[in-house]
Amino acid sequence: MDFSQVELTSDQLVFEKEIRELISQNWTPNLAHIAVDHDRMPQSVRMEMSKRGWIHPELAVEAGGAGLGEIELEMITNLFDEYYIPANVSSSLLIPTLEKFGSQWLKDNVLPGIRSGELTTCLGYSEPDNGSDMAAATTRAVQDGDTWVINGQKMWTTWGNESDYVFLLTRTGAVEEKHRTLTMFLVPMNTPGVEATPVWILGGGRTNVTFYTDVIISDNFRIGPVNDGWSVMSEPLATEHGAGVVTEGVAPVNGSMGAGFSRVFQKLVDGAIQWAASRTMPDGRSRLEDPLVRAALAEAMLDLEMCWNAEGELGKPMSAEALAKQADKLADMAAPEGLLDFGVDGSIAAGIIASERQHAPGTAVYGGTTEIYRNNLARRLGLPRPY
Amino acid sequence: MTLVLRRNDYTLSDEQVQLVDMLRSLFTEQSAIDVVRAAEPLGFDQNLWSTVQDNGLLTISIPESVGGDGGGLVELVLAGIEIGRTAAPVPLIDHVVTMRLLAVLKAAGATLDALDWDAALAGDLIVSLAPISTWELGAQLVPSGAVAKAVVAFKDGEIILMTRETYAAQAQNEGCAPVAWWSSTDADVRITTLLAGAEAKGIWELAHREWRIATASSLVGLIAISSEIARGYALDRKAFGVTIAKFQAISHQLADIHMDVVTARNMTMKAAWLTENEPEFRPELAAMAMAHATRAALRSTAKAVHVHGGMGITNEADISLFYRKVSSWSLVGGGIRRDLDDISTAIDHRAQELAIAALTSSNR
Repeated sequence: MDFSQVELTSDQLVFEKEIRELISQNWTPNLAHIAVDHDRMPQSVRMEMSKRGWIHPELAVEAGGAGLGEIELEMITNLFDEYYIPANVSSSLLIPTLEKFGSQWLKDNVLPGIRSGELTTCLGYSEPDNGSDMAAATTRAVQDGDTWVINGQKMWTTWGNESDYVFLLTRTGAVEEKHRTLTMFLVPMNTPGVEATPVWILGGGRTNVTFYTDVIISDNFRIGPVNDGWSVMSEPLATEHGAGVVTEGVAPVNGSMGAGFSRVFQKLVDGAIQWAASRTMPDGRSRLEDPLVRAALAEAMLDLEMCWNAEGELGKPMSAEALAKQADKLADMAAPEGLLDFGVDGSIAAGIIASERQHAPGTAVYGGTTEIYRNNLARRLGLPRPY
Repeated sequence: MTLVLRRNDYTLSDEQVQLVDMLRSLFTEQSAIDVVRAAEPLGFDQNLWSTVQDNGLLTISIPESVGGDGGGLVELVLAGIEIGRTAAPVPLIDHVVTMRLLAVLKAAGATLDALDWDAALAGDLIVSLAPISTWELGAQLVPSGAVAKAVVAFKDGEIILMTRETYAAQAQNEGCAPVAWWSSTDADVRITTLLAGAEAKGIWELAHREWRIATASSLVGLIAISSEIARGYALDRKAFGVTIAKFQAISHQLADIHMDVVTARNMTMKAAWLTENEPEFRPELAAMAMAHATRAALRSTAKAVHVHGGMGITNEADISLFYRKVSSWSLVGGGIRRDLDDISTAIDHRAQELAIAALTSSNR
């Protein structure tokens, strides 16, 4: 066991300074922006990051990364959080899949840009009539010589309006064959027939419905064997749901999503403390001295510490549910101002409590519902497939 | 402003893994459920205590300078988990935490003449401490107070030792823990001041944090075994022609219980390591570990009972025994309300940090 503070080397301190300079030259923190774990950084910041290999900093320099270690990765994550930079631009879930299953053409022409972060990706799994049961996908791909014709519709294609490629799950046989007739493609979003229309969600975020109408692409864009898409898709899913790679014991144990939600949770708690510090009771004392306020804040801090200790696959459901619960409770604690939006007279800490109450329910859904996580956990406990 | 990163390494050393293996087999063999039941209502088994003594478990976490083996709070927590897993009817946690406190007092120059040190070190004289005395004076429930003849408490800024010639009567409780009322004004109780002055408060608070963490570890063990028992029942029991573990209404409850096991264990281990190695850093972690272990134990053992259906509420079911132990073991220290009160000191700390952060960002 070891929970000691990391002594940063002089190189690491220089690295920190460099990132801070880069950020301050390219970015103005927007304190009203809450969904930093979900949204994507603007292209200008991305291109600056990409030049330095910081989009996938864990990759070797020759592979488009910066060859950085776990401590530097944590530094980047923490600094982005500090400056409210939406960081979700990584394709790290897809890169190993492309390396393993991608066509030579994809490896030569597309993979380098994805590794460096010049090219971005989004995920095309869910459909209007199926979400968690992905093996029920109906978006059809039909082979025509060296090309494929794709028709169908995908839901929740977050960043579909601003990505270069979509990692697309298609049906290449009978639907009744479930996971045995699925095939994966990496489809360029600028192909004629691909259209992303916005779906606005609680908290002000955007996701998309994407339509694929007679989309014709070369066989070069296929990933893995025809009808073996389930194996191809399972790899990034496992990474997305998993704990991440712990090498030096510095990364949080609660996985990438759980850690992201926990960082938002910390901002929520901080906003609630700022509210209490800025309000006085009728007797003139600070609300920070109100025993009921203290009990509410203490419980929120307890839940936050619990989230940081929720290991691996547990991180996502526990953090999402604790975040949603505490957003409700802290909105109530700070009532009535807790309901006010950013910029309104009397709003609290950039409206964080109100906006987080809007954002939190999504955290329990996107990237896999908390029920799916419980199913997975039950399987790992040796319980049979659910009835 | 410079970033501060900390390690998050929960892995046990090889020696710690060996210790867990030894403790697991010892308590599994010696503290079987019929032993636990036979030890009720007092909640103390002299044979098991002798085994604990003979195997040197009482001195593992005692400093070498006073006759112990030099282990720390982490080792005590590992023992606490195994005690919880078997609901072992021995006051190891209370006794060892108190002995660690007495060792600190000894080093600080306190006179311990009122105590037979060698008998206490060997466990022939059981000692305990009064966690409630952190906040309240007067008569109070003391964990292991019905099997201890010496209890350390905090009173008017001093650390005191209360001793009795005879055992205090057990206060009957649902978990059959050897809890008893102790009062410094009781005619049977002799009082000795062990340490006064500014130093006393800090030493007491650290011991109180150790007690919370070690007690939390026993709750971790209780949740862990309840999780395993409920899982086994769900796999075995059939309804509507299938094993009930196939129903999400059941399996998701088992998943929730497992989440409680993991988070309660990790919070306890982290609090133990940091309290031992950096006692000044985030002192609220001890109260957090205790508060979470308490709420997790209360709700998860209730779920584990529920998974058993009607069988769960019968006295003969193993799970109902663990359910009963939880409240007696978790609430005797004062409950979550008092934990939250101590956690709230972190609010003031964070408010100060935020004021500093606000200054920094305006200078950006």
